[in-house]
Amino acid sequence: MSKWVLLGIRSGTKTTRYPSHTESAAGISPGRPKDTLMADKNAQALIRDLCPTGALNPKNDRIAVDYRRCISCRRCARGASTLVDWEESWEWASLSAPDLNASSALGSPFSQSLHIRVLDAGACRACLSEIEQLGKPYYNIHRLGFFMTPTPRHADVLLVAGPVADNMRLPLEKAYDAMPTPKRVVAVGACALSGGVFGPSFTSYGSLKNVIPVDVEIPGCPPPPLAIIHGLLVLTGRRPPAESGATSFLDRRSGT
Amino acid sequence: MIDVSMLLFLFMATCAVGAALAVVLPDRMNLVVQTVVGIVASAIALAASGAVLLLGLSFDINLWRLPGLGPISLHMDRISALFVFVTALVYLPISLFSVEYMEKYVGRYSIKFFGFFSHLLFASIVLTLAAGDVASFLFAWELMTILSYLLVTYEHREEEVTSAGYLLLSMSEVGTFAAALGLLIIAGSADNLSFSALRNASSGIGEAARWGVFLLTFFGFGVKAGLIPGSSWLPRAHPAAPANCSAVLSGVILNLGIYGIVRVNADLLPASHASQGIVALIVGSLSALIGILYATIDNDMKRMLAHSSIENMGIITACLGAGFVFLASGQSALAGIAFVVAFYHTVNHSLYKALLFLGAGAVDSKVGGRNMNRFGGLIKRMPWTSAWFLIGALSIAALPPFNGFVTEWLTLQTLLQSAVLSAKGLKIAFALCGAMLALTAALAVTCFVKAYGMSFLGMPRSKAAESAAEAKSPTIVSMAMLAALCFIFGITPTYVIPVIDGAVSPVVHQSVTDELVPPFFSGNKTKNPKFSDAFMAEFHDLGAQVGSSVLPGRGLVVLHQGTARNPVIFAMSTSYTFVVLAILIIGSVLVIRLLFRNRVVLRKPVWDGGIRRLFPEMTYTATGFSNPVRVIFEAIFRPSMSENTRETISGHFRTAIRNGREETYVVDRALVNPLIRSSQWLAGLIGLIHSARVNAYAGYVLLTLLAFLVIQTLI
Repeated sequence: MSKWVLLGIRSGTKTTRYPSHTESAAGISPGRPKDTLMADKNAQALIRDLCPTGALNPKNDRIAVDYRRCISCRRCARGASTLVDWEESWEWASLSAPDLNASSALGSPFSQSLHIRVLDAGACRACLSEIEQLGKPYYNIHRLGFFMTPTPRHADVLLVAGPVADNMRLPLEKAYDAMPTPKRVVAVGACALSGGVFGPSFTSYGSLKNVIPVDVEIPGCPPPPLAIIHGLLVLTGRRPPAESGATSFLDRRSGT
Repeated sequence: MIDVSMLLFLFMATCAVGAALAVVLPDRMNLVVQTVVGIVASAIALAASGAVLLLGLSFDINLWRLPGLGPISLHMDRISALFVFVTALVYLPISLFSVEYMEKYVGRYSIKFFGFFSHLLFASIVLTLAAGDVASFLFAWELMTILSYLLVTYEHREEEVTSAGYLLLSMSEVGTFAAALGLLIIAGSADNLSFSALRNASSGIGEAARWGVFLLTFFGFGVKAGLIPGSSWLPRAHPAAPANCSAVLSGVILNLGIYGIVRVNADLLPASHASQGIVALIVGSLSALIGILYATIDNDMKRMLAHSSIENMGIITACLGAGFVFLASGQSALAGIAFVVAFYHTVNHSLYKALLFLGAGAVDSKVGGRNMNRFGGLIKRMPWTSAWFLIGALSIAALPPFNGFVTEWLTLQTLLQSAVLSAKGLKIAFALCGAMLALTAALAVTCFVKAYGMSFLGMPRSKAAESAAEAKSPTIVSMAMLAALCFIFGITPTYVIPVIDGAVSPVVHQSVTDELVPPFFSGNKTKNPKFSDAFMAEFHDLGAQVGSSVLPGRGLVVLHQGTARNPVIFAMSTSYTFVVLAILIIGSVLVIRLLFRNRVVLRKPVWDGGIRRLFPEMTYTATGFSNPVRVIFEAIFRPSMSENTRETISGHFRTAIRNGREETYVVDRALVNPLIRSSQWLAGLIGLIHSARVNAYAGYVLLTLLAFLVIQTLI
């Protein structure tokens, strides 16, 4: 007990150095499927049928990935003769509308510091488990100026996980209503983006967007802590958003 | 020139007319006539006592000379006049309040009865205060006790009310008996029963008799004042009585106990021993602390106010005790200050406690209950009542600029002056009692934050509270009058102190106006023996003379400078404080308006954690608010806890658990209940001789005869 100060000093700083340096620890991110070249129609059909949430769609000679739907089940990465490529990264967050500039909308006073209210809108707790890691020594979001607050009255950002279960709609709306302007909403995880494995159903609204406007989307099931940090950094304009949201990728492809 | 004795007879005649009219008129008209007569009588009493207080027209009327009792006379000096003035000041709004309040009794209880006895009570109170001899004093005192009993038991069909009434009557009679005995000990060495004869005879009374008189009258009158150990009738009588009677009881009748203590122990037979003062100081401080502790945890609004009356009477008595100590130690200036503060606090307590009782009555008649757990949110439904109640609560919690602050501050400052005393024991007693009173003041704030917050703020916690309606205008005006008086007595201490000093100075043989109210308005020009020019100039630099061109009087600062041995200065000015507070509040409102003129303000419902609906059951209750106090002072409350579980099949299937908690009042537990038990035990012992056999009774006769024969031979 009395030695923990010494132990702490001896072991030094273990906190990740992201975003100023790259992170290279093993298993820091589960990764996600990548947009893959696959010309064979049979292989395309096979892959499409393998995906349980319909995240993989053949588009011309490629397999396009809808990250809003992907639940990282890795079925497309094993168990088939032709596999989808897998990328090891975490900078996945994107702005919900491509022309939205989240940081300028929130204003410069918020670029270095945010207060965050986390809201569980019917999540399976995987996302919440990852969000919990943010406050722990390895990720330590306080060093970046992000703070969790227990009341929406003090919050600038509403961090929501889950497909918005019927019973959680009222608390969600009340919390959003109780926040002072300017306020922003970050949707965490596949459920909040597309309903995930739950989808729109008689008990769930299927997506956060169906209830309140969303500004930043962090895909993943669950997104690793670094992905959530990236999402917050995107919100404050300190990191660029991810290149390829699925829809925008498809749009770009069809446009060219 | 005003003839005070004429006014006094006019007052008595008005009360008699009122009582007569009350018997004959029909109910609805009766109420209006009673109010009008009550207001007229109060106005006459105000004029009479005001003339005595301000102009010094004391008078002496000799009525009759009765064989064996000596002259029966009415006499009004400034002490009596001060108490009469307070009585009338409180009675006037209460009369106005009764019009609407008594309407709920029409058809259920006799309005005639109420009117008849309330007018007689007013007359008997004034008669008690104006009595000039022991016989008429005791006669008026008894009349007042019985009339107050009759009014307290007005709702005589409730068993709780009648039992509270019997307790009041029996305890008062014990107190009266003790006090009468004390008075008779003094009278034993006097020519006749008039107070002046008693005063002349007092110098020839021995030490033991002095102590006897002090203890008998102090504890005897202390029962009426609600001091421990005679306080257990008060928390039961107040909730039983109608609200206007409670206001009279607390605002007027408790003062009579203080008047009795002052009349005997400061005027007729001045306390000669410092230890007598210490007895008063300790009893007062303990009453204050125990009173406020029970007030804080009580959820019955009127019982809470009753406990708080015990607290305030304790503060007054502690101050009187300090005065006795200073007087016995030859510090007549400090004794004068202590008495002035005690009288001033009596006035203040009457005003704000009457206001709070009227507020409680208005709430009671609109919501139908006194349990604060069932109130809540009344500020939206009864805005005026809640505003005046707030002023009462601020006053009693001793917050400036209201009147409670002035006297609580002066009380603590007076106790701190104990440094001039030479005996170490006295200093220690003063320090401990000062600490108790400081704790009392802090708890009083808690108590009235709870009383106001839980009753008027938040959500309504019952259907009745939800559908409450505002009281009618006479009720609101009566409370507004008292609230205005609380405010006026709060910001004009420098004008009130000289008037009260007129009543005190004959007792301590020194005027304390110079000690407490320095002449800052004219100070630098005239040579002042008490304060040096440099001292006055220093305060002039601070602005103590501001307002001298428009205001009469000596100044607006209450200041006392100790002697060379104890060169402590205390100074305060609620008048300037009020001006500064007003400027700050209005100024900040204006600044905020100006700065945020263009800002959009969004108003959203309160954040409730996202629940579907905020239910009243989820909000803070009065019990919850006072629970920390209840837990911390568990040793004093000594509650007995009970758990009542209802089960279906076995112990594992509980359908309902009811947790009970019962507290016995500490005075009952420590004194009254053992007294009852021991007298019952004694009665049982005596009952043994009732053997119900004729032979035994014949034997008793024989034994008695033998005993008489033996005594006969011995003598």
